[in-house]
Amino acid sequence: MGLQNEEKLELGCSSSQQRSKKWVLLTVRVIAFLATATATLVMALNKETKTLVVAMVGSTPIKVTLTAKFQHTPAFVFFVIANGMASFHNLMMIMVELFGQKLDYKGLRLAMIAILDMTTVALISGGASAATFMAEVGKNGNSHARWNKICDKFETFCDRGGVAIIASSAGLILMLIITAMSIFKLLNKPKSVSS
Amino acid sequence: MIKPKRLLSLLLRFIAFGTTLAAVILMATSHEKGTFFAVSYEAKYTDTPAFKYFVIANAIVTVYGFLVLFLPPGSPIWRLVLALDLVFIMLLISSISAAMAIAQVGKNGNPRAAWLPVCGQITKFCNQVTGALVAGFIALITYIILLLYSIYNFLNPLFEKA
Repeated sequence: MGLQNEEKLELGCSSSQQRSKKWVLLTVRVIAFLATATATLVMALNKETKTLVVAMVGSTPIKVTLTAKFQHTPAFVFFVIANGMASFHNLMMIMVELFGQKLDYKGLRLAMIAILDMTTVALISGGASAATFMAEVGKNGNSHARWNKICDKFETFCDRGGVAIIASSAGLILMLIITAMSIFKLLNKPKSVSS
Repeated sequence: MIKPKRLLSLLLRFIAFGTTLAAVILMATSHEKGTFFAVSYEAKYTDTPAFKYFVIANAIVTVYGFLVLFLPPGSPIWRLVLALDLVFIMLLISSISAAMAIAQVGKNGNPRAAWLPVCGQITKFCNQVTGALVAGFIALITYIILLLYSIYNFLNPLFEKA
């Protein structure tokens, strides 16, 4: 009986302002999902094959076919996995928001959403920063460690990697906004009336 | 007297401050000079932008941790501290992730890109960088524990106890 009163109190407070807030959050989640999904797909399909002339024997050139794939670098693998999990998380949250209004566990629904959002922010930031610095080494090389830059030979690979990293950074900023909104929702939820 | 909750929070914040400071000092003082078959080399943390970012990020978090240690318990700034904790956790994660990515290439090399591992020649530098990364990791875990603890303390009055 007390629970029914609480539900009525919540529904009574749900003005048009709260409903528009819900739609704003949902829209930002959809955009963030698109950003991280784009980053995942672009990096996962990032592959470039190039035939280079290594040496000349007499007058016949010796050609070597080199492939640049994202799996060669653990940082990019982490990037793909992190953005994939973030996209999955956003998808789940959108589904729960749209279809699972009744899903609750001891009143912890908003807290779980906020905490999961925070972990996703952490994951995306880790992946994006690792990929950024690996891409910087690939673009500029490192003279102290005698690591040559590879972006002048594999331009398409580097360009696509850059696009993926930019998309992931945009997704990160959006996820930060979403986390702030979720925490706001959590702190402002109508306090349960204790008997 | 100091409440046990406040004591625990203070202890955690002190540990976090100490480990970020250790990470900064270990990374900043890591340099090694040597000769390798008449080729003189020098390894410093400024060689890689990733390590520079690690030092800068951990320095910022050290200053923040130091300032928060002196915050009185009742002040309303603690809400801002909660938000800033989240932001600085994100900064720490990104700095550790970047430094670890470069350190992994330095240790194992990347044969496909013809990048040779360099840790064989500069073992002392590599060990110190590893130490700095471990300290940064412990700082990160301490900050996460702190954040969860603050959220738990904040939300506890809101939960209906059965």
